Amino acid sequence: MDHIEYLFAGFAVFWGGLFIYLLLLQMRIRALSQEIGRLEERLAEAEAPPAARTVTPPAPPGTGGRGGRDAPEQASEVAAQDA
Amino acid sequence: MNQLLRRLEPLGWNVLPPVVGVAMTAMIVGALAAAPREIIEGEVQRLMYLHVPSAVIMYGAFGFTAFASVMLLWKRDMRWDAAARSAALVGVFLCSMVLLSGAIWGKPIWGVYWTWDARLTTTLILLLIYVAYLLARSVAGPLDEQAARYAAIFAIIGVVDIPIIQMSVRWWRTLHPQPIIFRPNPALPDEMLLVLLIGFIAVASLATWLIFLQWNTERAAQRVSALRAEVDHREMA
Repeated sequence: MDHIEYLFAGFAVFWGGLFIYLLLLQMRIRALSQEIGRLEERLAEAEAPPAARTVTPPAPPGTGGRGGRDAPEQASEVAAQDA
Repeated sequence: MNQLLRRLEPLGWNVLPPVVGVAMTAMIVGALAAAPREIIEGEVQRLMYLHVPSAVIMYGAFGFTAFASVMLLWKRDMRWDAAARSAALVGVFLCSMVLLSGAIWGKPIWGVYWTWDARLTTTLILLLIYVAYLLARSVAGPLDEQAARYAAIFAIIGVVDIPIIQMSVRWWRTLHPQPIIFRPNPALPDEMLLVLLIGFIAVASLATWLIFLQWNTERAAQRVSALRAEVDHREMA
């Protein structure tokens, strides 16, 4: 009555689950880092003098917060907390 | 909070990963090689060194979710929302592992993978509560303060299930065994208790590291949301 196959199945499920979790997390971190870089470039472009600007399409609606404060205030708050 | 985070951040990147690696290796070696073989259940009983610590640390992760939710409601600081979501995600991961390892352990011992036993059912309810919390929270943006507050209330109510899970084996007749560790005289030999203690350290350090990684990810998502809104605002102007 050893059921050693169940023992290895239990450990395999745990390690497999952990591996998938870390893989998904790593993919999300990479995507977010790229998005932050891209948005910071767009922000720098938007802050540049009008002659130096290139036309970029606006982001889809509904992507920002709706906590009652305006966008620059929220962005500077998040950036200040992370600094 | 800023000063505390600045002090703790290097620990998350430099100290936790090697600690997790060493502790998890020690737990596997202890569980599979060092711990004595249980006479009645045989080798499959070694799943206890993964199953029991995961269950207890899962309670901790959901408890921290509730604590961070209280702090969010009190301080109105969205970093607590990121902390609550991070701990809830890790809690859901651990809860899934507890249910799966329990099912695999249950098949040779009880003859079934699943039964609508009080302990199992209340644990499944806990998993569903926090999956619902994460789904509800992910529908709104990462900086949506109103959605964060509603989700926080849900997370605080959800934690009430933990004492019910803990007491379920006493209140109802269940297949799940009665507590054998958390009582004045644990019904385990010292060798088994030592390996179990290593298992607790391993899973606790793993959960802490995962919450730290997840918290950084959630903060990055909040930053993306804020930047996106600011870019839109500037480009419209």
